[in-house]
Amino acid sequence: MNIYDVILRDFPFLLKGLGIAVILLAALLALGFVIGLTICLLQLYGPRTRFVQWPLKAYERVFRGVPIIIMLFIFYYGLAGVFDISSFAAAILALGFRSGAYQSQIFRSAFQSVPAGQMTAARAHGMSLAQAIRWILFPQAIRHAIGPWTNEFSSEIKETSLAYVIGVVELTRQAHYIITSTQGNTLTVFAVVALLYFIVNKAGNSGLYWLEARLAVPGFEKRQ
Amino acid sequence: MADTPVLRADAIHKRYADNEVLKGISLTLARGETKVLIGPSGSGKSTFLRCLNHLTKPDRGTIELDGVEISDANIDRMRARIGFVFQDFNLFSHLSVLDNVSICPIRVKRQARDEAIRRAREELERVGLGDKADAYPAELSGGQQQRVSIARALAMDPTLMLFDEPTSALDPELTGEVVKVMQRLADDGMTMLVVSHEMGFARQAADEIVFMEGGHIVEQGPPETLFSQPAQDRTRAFLNVIAEHG
Repeated sequence: MNIYDVILRDFPFLLKGLGIAVILLAALLALGFVIGLTICLLQLYGPRTRFVQWPLKAYERVFRGVPIIIMLFIFYYGLAGVFDISSFAAAILALGFRSGAYQSQIFRSAFQSVPAGQMTAARAHGMSLAQAIRWILFPQAIRHAIGPWTNEFSSEIKETSLAYVIGVVELTRQAHYIITSTQGNTLTVFAVVALLYFIVNKAGNSGLYWLEARLAVPGFEKRQ
Repeated sequence: MADTPVLRADAIHKRYADNEVLKGISLTLARGETKVLIGPSGSGKSTFLRCLNHLTKPDRGTIELDGVEISDANIDRMRARIGFVFQDFNLFSHLSVLDNVSICPIRVKRQARDEAIRRAREELERVGLGDKADAYPAELSGGQQQRVSIARALAMDPTLMLFDEPTSALDPELTGEVVKVMQRLADDGMTMLVVSHEMGFARQAADEIVFMEGGHIVEQGPPETLFSQPAQDRTRAFLNVIAEHG
């Protein structure tokens, strides 16, 4: 059997691995979104006291400062001793927590890019802080965030491949199985895998740019 | 109740570090009255206006709206009754003109959507922008944006309207359309406090001119007296400067 027949025969496994990678991606981005937005709102509009601000800063520094592969090991081997946690769940947590640190900074600059006068105007007409954030700032910040967020999307789809090291059977690990069962031909298999990652990346980014264009506020459209 | 002033500000003080911006400003507005605050830049006019609805928190002094003192506890409710028009409009950029005018009644006063939209259209007609309901702020001229922001304030049914230099970000040719709207509001009996150097407006619409300098009220009086025979030299000096440059 030559390598192409093998890839063809085992393609369903690659797709399955890709499916796991995409689910992992969706879960970590969703977790990161919730954490990132919460941190950003607390940093910008929460109590100024150090008891609130310092832990947020520490969280952000730690998760942006430690290599993800170390985080994966810590979450998997560290938590597995205490809780009954699967490698998949550990990967979602490690990647999601870190994505939260990055997303918090994306959202922070997005919220800060809304002219301050609009918050003042909303408050001046009787909106509470929460209402002003919900109805005036958030809808604009989320539009500004889409561009930088495509970066986060692109990074994270690639980072899912690192879940491999704690035994998540995602795309890269499936590829590795195929390689060990056929000896050699490493490059061909990885070329196919690279193509699969690229396709998901491209599709996701295209979707995000479409969304960005669709949500553009009249008078603020990007130049064509 | 007839003699309870709509607005009573009493001995408002505000200091930034060692710069005392307001040194005890007191002012009342009766229902339907329009007063225009004038004075050199840095005299504290805008700070005073922003203190009235606690956009800037005064250090000392009390503010009453219809006899009720404004406090941290009731601030959102009180602000909902005080229209505020900003120098640089501050429209909500992501909302159409119609939504800009209707969002506060819907979210703050919990008005039914249909009702708020109907009212928003009325207010837009009133400022002469009925045909711009579906436009977005970035598609409008400065004068149009300012008129939308007036409509946004009016849609809340305010007891009092505050204007913070509403025309100073506008070209002279756009100033007129905004002044006309304000003039009509004053004629319709709205209670208004206006920081502005539009002397034409002050002369015609104001019941009283208040001249501020250095954190004090130097002099106040009806426009015909204050403009022609100011009692204070500082007022006269300021009016001369305005007359030369304005």
